[in-house]
Amino acid sequence: MSEPPISRGFRSRRQEQTPKNRLPPGQYVTTDFPVLSAGPTPQITVENWTFTLQLGGAILGTWNWAEFETLPQTTIKTDIHCVTKWSKLDTAWQGVTFDDLLKAVGLSEPPAPYIMAHCDGGYTTNVPPADLVGGQGMIATRYEGLPILPMHGGPARLLVPHLYFWKSAKWVRRLRFMEKDERGFWESLGYHNYGDPWKEQRYDGD
Amino acid sequence: MTETENGSDLVLDGNAAAGLLQEIFVSDITSARIQCGACGSIAAVGSLRLYAAQMGAVLRCVHCDGVVMRAVHTSHDRWLEMTGARSLRFGRL
Amino acid sequence: MTAIDSTASPARRLEWQQAEVREIVTETFRVKSLLLRVASWPGHFPGQHVDIRLTAEDGYQAQRSYSIASPPEDELLALTVERVENGEVSPYLVGELRIGDRFELRGPIGGYFVWTVPTGGPLCLIAGGSGMAPLMAMLRHRDRQKAHIPGSVLYSSRSLEDVIYRNELDAMAQCDSNLRVIYTLTRKQPEEWLGPRRRIDKALLAEVCYPPDKNPKIFVCGPTSLVEEVARMLVELGHEPQTIKTERFGPTGA
Repeated sequence: MSEPPISRGFRSRRQEQTPKNRLPPGQYVTTDFPVLSAGPTPQITVENWTFTLQLGGAILGTWNWAEFETLPQTTIKTDIHCVTKWSKLDTAWQGVTFDDLLKAVGLSEPPAPYIMAHCDGGYTTNVPPADLVGGQGMIATRYEGLPILPMHGGPARLLVPHLYFWKSAKWVRRLRFMEKDERGFWESLGYHNYGDPWKEQRYDGD
Repeated sequence: MTETENGSDLVLDGNAAAGLLQEIFVSDITSARIQCGACGSIAAVGSLRLYAAQMGAVLRCVHCDGVVMRAVHTSHDRWLEMTGARSLRFGRL
Repeated sequence: MTAIDSTASPARRLEWQQAEVREIVTETFRVKSLLLRVASWPGHFPGQHVDIRLTAEDGYQAQRSYSIASPPEDELLALTVERVENGEVSPYLVGELRIGDRFELRGPIGGYFVWTVPTGGPLCLIAGGSGMAPLMAMLRHRDRQKAHIPGSVLYSSRSLEDVIYRNELDAMAQCDSNLRVIYTLTRKQPEEWLGPRRRIDKALLAEVCYPPDKNPKIFVCGPTSLVEEVARMLVELGHEPQTIKTERFGPTGA
């Protein structure tokens, strides 16, 4: 297939700084925070919010907002990479790590090899718990020190920054452990099942 | 798309997904009438609400917000999922 | 350029082709129209749009959709672009692009938001901001065909300086007693302004739009919030939902 013609003078606005060792292939740095949603922003009040860990038909643990806020809090600074090619560096998040969730329900390791994240509005994404342990994943409730805005996934979103950001599911409510892998919303429609930005795993077959 | 005070203005419609859908259907389907599987209401594909246009197309019913159709153009192929639609009707009214 | 046939367009694969900028028209201080020559243009219906694709030297690509503002009778294809603050593509199209420049384009796209003279009227066009572009293609087509189908236009803008195509719309209305154009200015109005000074509401719609028993063909285009509110109000005024065609433009002003 021939190369597309160059549009004279067109540059990505996002190309201001490209610290090459921090950007996965094909990504461009952005200073804003684009909003991408598969549906309308759910209107969730923390009074009605609960978060649950589930294995089969069993509830391993469930918290309301007040209870969740008393769990150990961790803050991290990390880069995030969206499959639509924007990356945002040094973003600050606070929340409860997956490790601390497991501890809170008395588990020293994940009880099953796969997880499906379920969210208000119906969005789903599958992530292996092996990619959440060791501080790799958290349920985040603060961005840059403030409660996460609804359009960015508030009151709580999953955060798995080493994978493409569609895996950091907005409005997360439940992590369901699974014995067999199942594909979530985008993974069942042509997107890569795992989504490692450093291997540029955007689509199924990459 | 960047942050905006009125988040609802980020939502487009099936007209904006027409190019992607035409890659799949070959002919234009925006004037086809689609029936929502969840609530039964009928609308032109072009008038459905479009979300996540940067990743593909998620078309939702204007009445119940149910997902009626989803499409993605990957680097290898094109995907379409329509389990949220009961029927698609082409041709003149 | 092509005969207008209002039956469905034939099935054909959308292909990217090259467009060359032949003229640039400044419409307002943040809006320009690009007049393009597209070598193998198959013709189009008023209301359709194109996808354009820009490629930077490093391979980065950006794709956007723009409504065709020119009628099928015109030789050059017109796209009207509003420069969006912090936008990635519009500042390039409105600020950098020069005559002779080329970019990729595919189309025409869309069969839903379309009006041609054979469809008939009366015609009711409601626009917010740059949403006027596809409706302008319809009006220009009506004008080129010398069709005197009754039409009324309600155009919402922030201020008089933001009204796109104003001189042309005024001229059309002046020469055609069957065409009525009403501007409503929502944020800033000249002192001597006698027209409406507010966002579109039911009263304005009732005043400008033909009543339901006249069975008008209604087209609404602009920011999503305006389009959905107007559509809702029109239904409350008694119009059948299928007679109201909408195109949401995303976040721009008015």
